[in-house]
Amino acid sequence: MGWNRVAVAGAGLIKFGELFEQSYEQMAAGAFQAALANVDRGIEPSQVDAVFVATQRGTLWGQEGIGGNTVPTAIGLAGVPCTRVENACPSGSDAFRVGAMAVASGVHDVVLVIGVEKMRDKSTEEGLLSRAAAGHPILTRGETAPVLFAPFATRHMNDYGTTREMLASVAVKNHRNGARDPFAHFQNEITVDDVLKSPPVCHPLHLLDCCPQTDGAAATILVNADRADEFTDTPVFVAGFGVATDHPYLHEKQSFTGLKATGLAAERAYRMAGVGPEQVDCAEVHDCFTITEILDIEDLGFVEKGKGGIASLDGETSLTGRIPVNTSGGLLAKGHPIGATGVAQLTECWWQLRGEAGDRQVETRNGYTLQHNVGGRGSGVSVVNILTTNR
Amino acid sequence: MTSPVRVLAAGAAAPARRLSAADVAAAWGRRGGRGQVGVCAPDEDVLTMAAEAGSHALAAAGLENDVVDGLWWGTTRPPFAEGPSHAVLASALGLSANSGGALCAGSPHAGMDALLGASDAIAAGSARVALVVAADALVPGAGTSFEERAGAGAAAVVLAAGGGQASLPVRVTRTHPFLDRYRSDGDDGTRDFYDARLFREEIFLPVVQEVGEQLAALDVDAWSLPDPDGRLGAAAARTIGGSAPASASVYAAVGDTGAAAPLLGALGSLDAARTVGVVGFGGGRATGVVINAEAPVAGAATVGEALSGGQPTSYAEALRARGQLRAAGENIPMGVPPESALFVRGAEEMLGLLGARCVDCGTINTPPTIHPFCISCGSTKFVTVPLARRGVVHTFVVNHTMPPPFEAPLPLAVIDLVDGARVMLQVIGDGSDMRIGADVELVLRRYAFERGVPVYGFKARTVGGARTESGSEE
Repeated sequence: MGWNRVAVAGAGLIKFGELFEQSYEQMAAGAFQAALANVDRGIEPSQVDAVFVATQRGTLWGQEGIGGNTVPTAIGLAGVPCTRVENACPSGSDAFRVGAMAVASGVHDVVLVIGVEKMRDKSTEEGLLSRAAAGHPILTRGETAPVLFAPFATRHMNDYGTTREMLASVAVKNHRNGARDPFAHFQNEITVDDVLKSPPVCHPLHLLDCCPQTDGAAATILVNADRADEFTDTPVFVAGFGVATDHPYLHEKQSFTGLKATGLAAERAYRMAGVGPEQVDCAEVHDCFTITEILDIEDLGFVEKGKGGIASLDGETSLTGRIPVNTSGGLLAKGHPIGATGVAQLTECWWQLRGEAGDRQVETRNGYTLQHNVGGRGSGVSVVNILTTNR
Repeated sequence: MTSPVRVLAAGAAAPARRLSAADVAAAWGRRGGRGQVGVCAPDEDVLTMAAEAGSHALAAAGLENDVVDGLWWGTTRPPFAEGPSHAVLASALGLSANSGGALCAGSPHAGMDALLGASDAIAAGSARVALVVAADALVPGAGTSFEERAGAGAAAVVLAAGGGQASLPVRVTRTHPFLDRYRSDGDDGTRDFYDARLFREEIFLPVVQEVGEQLAALDVDAWSLPDPDGRLGAAAARTIGGSAPASASVYAAVGDTGAAAPLLGALGSLDAARTVGVVGFGGGRATGVVINAEAPVAGAATVGEALSGGQPTSYAEALRARGQLRAAGENIPMGVPPESALFVRGAEEMLGLLGARCVDCGTINTPPTIHPFCISCGSTKFVTVPLARRGVVHTFVVNHTMPPPFEAPLPLAVIDLVDGARVMLQVIGDGSDMRIGADVELVLRRYAFERGVPVYGFKARTVGGARTESGSEE
């Protein structure tokens, strides 16, 4: 391919939640320290050649909008090259991809990818919900985040007989996993009945079909694979990645039973990694809403189109299922601090491949894990990263 | 008697909600209160009703909207106290960018001003086809004596120099500079009469009688007479020597519709060959016209249906919809400033509901300004086309979670229009009538007040089912 292989030498995150007591800068520092601490043979901060920071919402009151400038000082690395990557909900996974390319190109040997997001310094009304009036004055009026996914649920239910119980089984499974993840925002189990009886947020999605508003930060340290042994005995490699776009507005979509960008990004990542979905041992996928995970597992090729709902209900994606999905608790239970989300998912993939996922460890027979985000207006962008222990 | 002005067609519109007079009376510790009035839903106003009535009249006339030479719009209170009220309505009606006309405002006489202005333009030959719209959504001062009767509605007629089934053979105006109901710049609602009995005996009845008697010389079959308080209409009818005026049924359905009242009270009577006397009153003036229908006027038979129905609303909800009951503090600032570049680029395509049809593959891209390349084939060659205003729901949601001033539940739907274009719009109603495959029509609504000014756009409304109330933002 003409590019250097890339290894993940360290990864870590801070406990996700409503972190009113922590600043953006403190969250970034916490994630950096966690990743440093998880490098088996240690690493000096001064060894970091460059930083890519993912923060999606540059609209809060602090300095997040210029995270490329803010983060180096916050983590004690003022002077280091640092660039903010924004690409909607896949910002973290795309920052990882960009960081990997910086190593792959040979420009840098050690790159820090850090995702940091403050979701709760503003009230729900002024923060996430205010997008109801953002964007185009008419086209997008009333369009809060669930409006971007609920139309797919309506249509998936109509076309494939997917039920609210099937949607709920995704939330139940992810909360069960989250209860085993010490970094998750929510660490309590829930029942299908809890989901069905939770208040409606955006028909047909109810409160427990939706991920919470979560603050968080996560970091990974990427190194030239030739130098991986300096840092660890159990290196994890970047096997492949793919990014794809789709029309941003919902009325431009042809189909409401799948997310085109996910399928395209996956196709590119699988081709680059030289594997197919059947070789993936477990996956961290974008479950901002329950319907999203059902669309994901179809679009990523884990189950046949239209069968995502029944597969979820049947436990195919549980810790002991055929293809465990969102072992960390996913966005639904672990939380969705946007810029941090993808980096935290990659941290889970890294732990699973190294056998360090504790109570939620699954068998990684083939040595491949997949990480996926999709987002933007109308799921107009998706990123897929594939990690492997195979040299 | 040889006026060249002909009436081609008529249309009417009523707001979505009905307020019981008894609720208003009870709020002020009074007993009684008779009947009901029309009240706008939070996403309706005088402009959206004007657009609906105007569209109906143009459709009944069987004319393409762009042949209209001018729009004459009468309303007591335009949506922008200063601003592009007339231009926004003309654009939403799909009129030519070169159309003329005038906005008449400032008193309930404005509807007659608009009718006379349009009639004069036709008579003078400066317009061949004129659209007259009279619309009002009265905002009575809380607790005023006429509050129980203050309603909302809109009426429209298409005038031309020839054709049609009716003429406007005579007109009379009487001016008398007195103060009855009025509102100053600082007032939200219109103030009460100083002395109701003085007004009735010395002003209203003599002036209306004088005008009415001149019309009566033409052997009027049916009357539309002003009735600002629920009693004066009957009294005026007695002074002219007739029985209950035909307009009484309109007042019973939607109350006093201000500037719309004279025309709205007359249009239903044009469903057969009749001579109809129309008297409008307000702002120190009374004007009478006779509309002489030789045969049924197009659209007149649908006026009754347009005014029927409506969802009950409470006095508190009515006050809120009229802007007289507001939450403490300020709404969270958000959205796009309505005087910004985005509106400059998007105003015509959103108000006129335009699409860009790809010359190479036929795909209609909406809206044009965000699609330099065709989403289907990548071509850059387009023709601008007006979008169809009927379609079918492809998928939908009902949003229950939005910050103020949005009102939940708010349905939104992806709609396949009959011309093949796909759009996503808010839907009027609470979502209970939403289903995949539902037939919808697109109607103008007020989407928001943004930084204090109204923002208009199209919403979908299911057709074929029960008419549901609207409600999104105020």
